[in-house]
Amino acid sequence: MSESILSITLRSLYVSSTAALIAFALAIALSAILARAPRKRAEMVLGVFEALVGVPTTVIGLFVYMLLYPHGPLGFMRLLYTPIAIVIGQFLVALPMAFTSMFRSFYELKEGVRELVLSLGCSEKHTTKVLLRELAPVLTSSYLLAFSRAIGELGVALIVGGGIEGYTSVLTTAIAVRTSIGDYELAIQIGLILLCITTSLALILKAFGERVLWR
Amino acid sequence: MEVKLVDVWHSYDGFTYALKGINLALEGPGVYVLTGPNGSGKTTLLKVVSLMIRPSRGEVVVDGVKFWGLDENERSSLRKSVVYVHDKPILVRGSARYNLELGLRLRGTKVSEDSIGHYIAKYGLKDLEGRPVSRLSAGQAKLISIVRGLLLRPRLLALDEPFTFLDGAKASLLVEDLAEIARGGGTVVVATHYMHKGLRDCSKQVIELIDGEVAQREEI
Repeated sequence: MSESILSITLRSLYVSSTAALIAFALAIALSAILARAPRKRAEMVLGVFEALVGVPTTVIGLFVYMLLYPHGPLGFMRLLYTPIAIVIGQFLVALPMAFTSMFRSFYELKEGVRELVLSLGCSEKHTTKVLLRELAPVLTSSYLLAFSRAIGELGVALIVGGGIEGYTSVLTTAIAVRTSIGDYELAIQIGLILLCITTSLALILKAFGERVLWR
Repeated sequence: MEVKLVDVWHSYDGFTYALKGINLALEGPGVYVLTGPNGSGKTTLLKVVSLMIRPSRGEVVVDGVKFWGLDENERSSLRKSVVYVHDKPILVRGSARYNLELGLRLRGTKVSEDSIGHYIAKYGLKDLEGRPVSRLSAGQAKLISIVRGLLLRPRLLALDEPFTFLDGAKASLLVEDLAEIARGGGTVVVATHYMHKGLRDCSKQVIELIDGEVAQREEI
């Protein structure tokens, strides 16, 4: 293996954190818009996203592949087998997770915070500020879940990234490739790194959150 | 602050009315007490008076101006004079102290240590200052939400069931403060089941609501 594990790890972190960040930002925007909708409509949209959480990543990978295929609608952009293609795919994988994990809290806290802000003689424009602060623990968990889902998926990274060494190889594809050629030792090492990243991030955020954000 | 309700009706679901044709004037400073059984519309009326709810029908006239006819900026400006304290305290994450200062922070008003110190000492909140709100008792949470309202020094202070969860001593201190606000030219509206003796003594008017209508008004 010519590419170092560090290089693959850094690429994985970069690709998945970018995808999770975009999914997270869109999930906040969607939540803010839907929080104004009648409860029944909001519940319906939530139900759709909850169903999307379970969609296999290979199906999402296939969908993105068809979009980016040279003769596909976005083929002219020549993004297939690039890190950007993985970002797009992982974004689609992470979005339902980010949205479903934050929306219910968003909806339930919004009314209470609005009441509080108005009761203190402040205008509705202050609601967002207080709401975001109240939601900090939920948003932190939501980003973490989106990131974990993105960095741990294989289907998208393999189908639209191709696991090209030195270019689109990420931790999950590297494990798959190493296993397929019988290099179990390296596959296990990379697997442990992936495990360390997700668990340590969760622990750091939990400790940091309890001291600062979640008090 | 003068608030007049002219033929005010309010419904949450479009079918049943919590308020039915309320005509009420809170003229000048003083303590006004709203009483009535559960479901009589006290909280809804208090929220209409506090400019938090736009009634389904009727007018809310504040100092001679129809409040809901104003634009958003003018409404925001008038709202700054009014504070409503919920029956179930709404506190945000953080310490009791953070919650005490919340209203001042949101308004961008400088937090006056003297003023906060005064209330902290008066209501015995010193030990609670740094405590996370998740560890407050119901009475402590209620007290924090009441003092948060008092700190804003509103021209109109509306309190929904303020004596629930408060011990006798704290309730008496609160009545003292409400009377003080009224003496200083403020308007205080209290919705309560429990007519504290001191509250009755210092009130200007007791209004009884039954089934969304004013059943009785008694000048004290």
